[in-house]
Amino acid sequence: MQFTNYTGALDGIRVLDLAGSVGAGYCGKLFADQGADVLLVEPPEGFETRRIPPIIPGVDPPEASGMHAYLSTNKRSVVCAEPECLRELARGASLVIDGSAGCERPLALDTLAEVSPNAVLLSITWFGQDGPYRDFAGTDAVCMALTSQVDWLGEAGEAPVIPGGYHAQIVTGQTAFIGAMGQLLAREFGTVAGPAHLEVSVLESSVCFTEIEAVRVHCGLPTRTRNGVNRFRTTYPLGIYSCRDGWLGVTVLTPSQWRGFCRLVGLQQLADVPRYRASQARYEDADTLDPLIAEAVRGKSAAELVRRGQEMKVPLSLVPTMEQLFGVDQYIARRVFAEVAHPDLGPFPMPVTPFRLHATPAIPGGPVARLGQHSESVLGSAGISE
Amino acid sequence: MSDRRFLRGCRIVDLSMGWAGPLATRHLADLGAEVIKVESCVRFDWFRGWEATSSWIESDGHEKNPPFNCMNRNKLDVTLDLSTERGRDLLLRLVSTSDAVVENFAASVLPRLKLGYEVFKEAKADIVMVSMPGFGTTGPWKHYRAYGSTTEQAAGLPHLTGHPEWPPMMVHIALGDAVAGLNGASALLVALRHLRRTGEGQLVDLSHSECLLPLGVHGIAEQSLTGSAPPRLGNRSRYYAPHGTYPCLDGRWIVIQALDEEQWKGVRDVVGEPLASFGSLRDRLERNDELDEIVSEWTARRHAEAAMTELQSAGVPAGSVSRADELSRDPHLNARGFWELVDRDYTGKLPHARTAYRVNGAPAEIHWPSPTLGQHNRLVLGTILGLEDEEIDALEREGVIGARPRLREVNGK
Repeated sequence: MQFTNYTGALDGIRVLDLAGSVGAGYCGKLFADQGADVLLVEPPEGFETRRIPPIIPGVDPPEASGMHAYLSTNKRSVVCAEPECLRELARGASLVIDGSAGCERPLALDTLAEVSPNAVLLSITWFGQDGPYRDFAGTDAVCMALTSQVDWLGEAGEAPVIPGGYHAQIVTGQTAFIGAMGQLLAREFGTVAGPAHLEVSVLESSVCFTEIEAVRVHCGLPTRTRNGVNRFRTTYPLGIYSCRDGWLGVTVLTPSQWRGFCRLVGLQQLADVPRYRASQARYEDADTLDPLIAEAVRGKSAAELVRRGQEMKVPLSLVPTMEQLFGVDQYIARRVFAEVAHPDLGPFPMPVTPFRLHATPAIPGGPVARLGQHSESVLGSAGISE
Repeated sequence: MSDRRFLRGCRIVDLSMGWAGPLATRHLADLGAEVIKVESCVRFDWFRGWEATSSWIESDGHEKNPPFNCMNRNKLDVTLDLSTERGRDLLLRLVSTSDAVVENFAASVLPRLKLGYEVFKEAKADIVMVSMPGFGTTGPWKHYRAYGSTTEQAAGLPHLTGHPEWPPMMVHIALGDAVAGLNGASALLVALRHLRRTGEGQLVDLSHSECLLPLGVHGIAEQSLTGSAPPRLGNRSRYYAPHGTYPCLDGRWIVIQALDEEQWKGVRDVVGEPLASFGSLRDRLERNDELDEIVSEWTARRHAEAAMTELQSAGVPAGSVSRADELSRDPHLNARGFWELVDRDYTGKLPHARTAYRVNGAPAEIHWPSPTLGQHNRLVLGTILGLEDEEIDALEREGVIGARPRLREVNGK
């Protein structure tokens, strides 16, 4: 493969993914894009990530998921479900990822330790290895709801709104990466030795977004509930407005930002209202102010407002649509998008690993393996016949 | 395993403040690295409080703010006035004994203090430095001001949530801070491995808005592969039904999602006869209004907890929509000991979210709560840098270090 000679910062680490979830996939992707050898060990029908949206029409099922392709750059795929075969594949592995709660595992820790004495077994599950919800069925939205990320979203008194996407599992993959790297480094640095079982749950990983709010409330500070789209008690205006050339994102907190914003959009008369120096007073009058702001920016250029606003130290941003994202000058300048090369989906641009190590950059994009593409070579070299 | 400080022997100088940087270093501290947080009496972590007044300082407001106390456990705290020659010099001496420096200042701050990667490299040739401003350290937006909401906007995420007739919708949980913090910790770990293997340090550059892009990859992938973005459908889905939030008897709401046919059968079994006429996914999507109405009638006769338990017993993903005040009381999290009460001066016992990973059954230990301002001045300056007690006393007299905030002098500039 094209990255054979690449020695990234995680060169020499071998990871086996037996889980096939979005969380495990993202964790493994962070390893693979930094140069680790990541092997997807899939059941004959392929991982569940091969069946999640977006599913691309006209492409045969196991290869049609854009999400799976994104998660699987720079990894290899074998089809194998036999316990004996798993044991052989795990020989010398640093990290094995499964998705099991409770005692039944595809590869038990003591079996793994026999073939790789310092290996870390990582279990990524929705709710963890114990507790009353252990056997609950999870989704991203269920975990977001239970960690009070959904209650804030929507019109007052109306149905709360589920955020789109895989937020919960992506942060879980990232949390698992931190936990796993901690264990792998501890073994490389010699602070511990021997096998370890590492456990990460989506529910607990999701608390990273709301832990501060939970503790604030615990301390008796007031909490919030949903109060309208883009209406947050923190301050006003904090919203997204339609402009001539797209959407303008506004966050105005301090008195000087408010004055600057009013001058920028031509609402000078509001800049000088003394009580509007306070963010809470503006929030109280949001129903009055909102139409004025919407009207003031409607015919203007969002790009121009952002540029001039930022010069005045007002934190404005474009709110690029999915289509516009690829054209944002900041993202172009920083080469944020690189081609994921899938044999059936073709090359398509996707975001690169977000953190940039200047001396040891991650692989931008990279190849994606078809289901079982490496079965023959990998199983053969492990001395396993199919 | 007796000593769970897995990264003992690693030292990190933490100049970061607020949420993202301190969350990154909290992960390193939880893993057992020695994290030395550097504040000053004049420029203390703004998570201690935004608006300092003399009465706020007198009533120890800077020690009582929950956000600060959430983010800084297991760290050492030293105050150094970096605008003084002596303070700057001591910082560089600290850097010379460390593996990494983390900062999340606005781009102009370090240069004004005559500090930065090149300066730190002079102090320690193989230093790792993690810089994490809102939009990264390069490119036309590198000086742009950003809050969490700003980076969420720039990542395009608001186009993936809400009803089609609504403007793009923010979730605004300062998503960018938490995600940048996790990425900062990840980057540090990768860079530390490279450092130990090769002796090479490096600069790590992190943009909060880029860290948020993976949260929208389902939308980005669809755009990238098909040329159009997924439609915004509120709580509905093109692929699943039922799918949404449903009202319960106790005034609360519940998320229900049937993501495959097995789970749909579970919904049908639990709700029973009223759903008998619904069949294939196509059928359910076509009659989604009717379907949601029937499911809502069922949920409306139950408390959210009861509905969740009943649906989950049938294998259906369901979760009650918790309010923030319920999170620290969640029965599952508490049965697992996720919240740990830790006693601290000025605040008493506060719950701490333990690490979301567990090693052989145990989360990271919380050795001590978030430090008070300058709590470890003597330890850091005396034991680590080898200053004599009299030298430390002198620094205190000169105001280079201290343990109480001071209001910034207004000098008319």
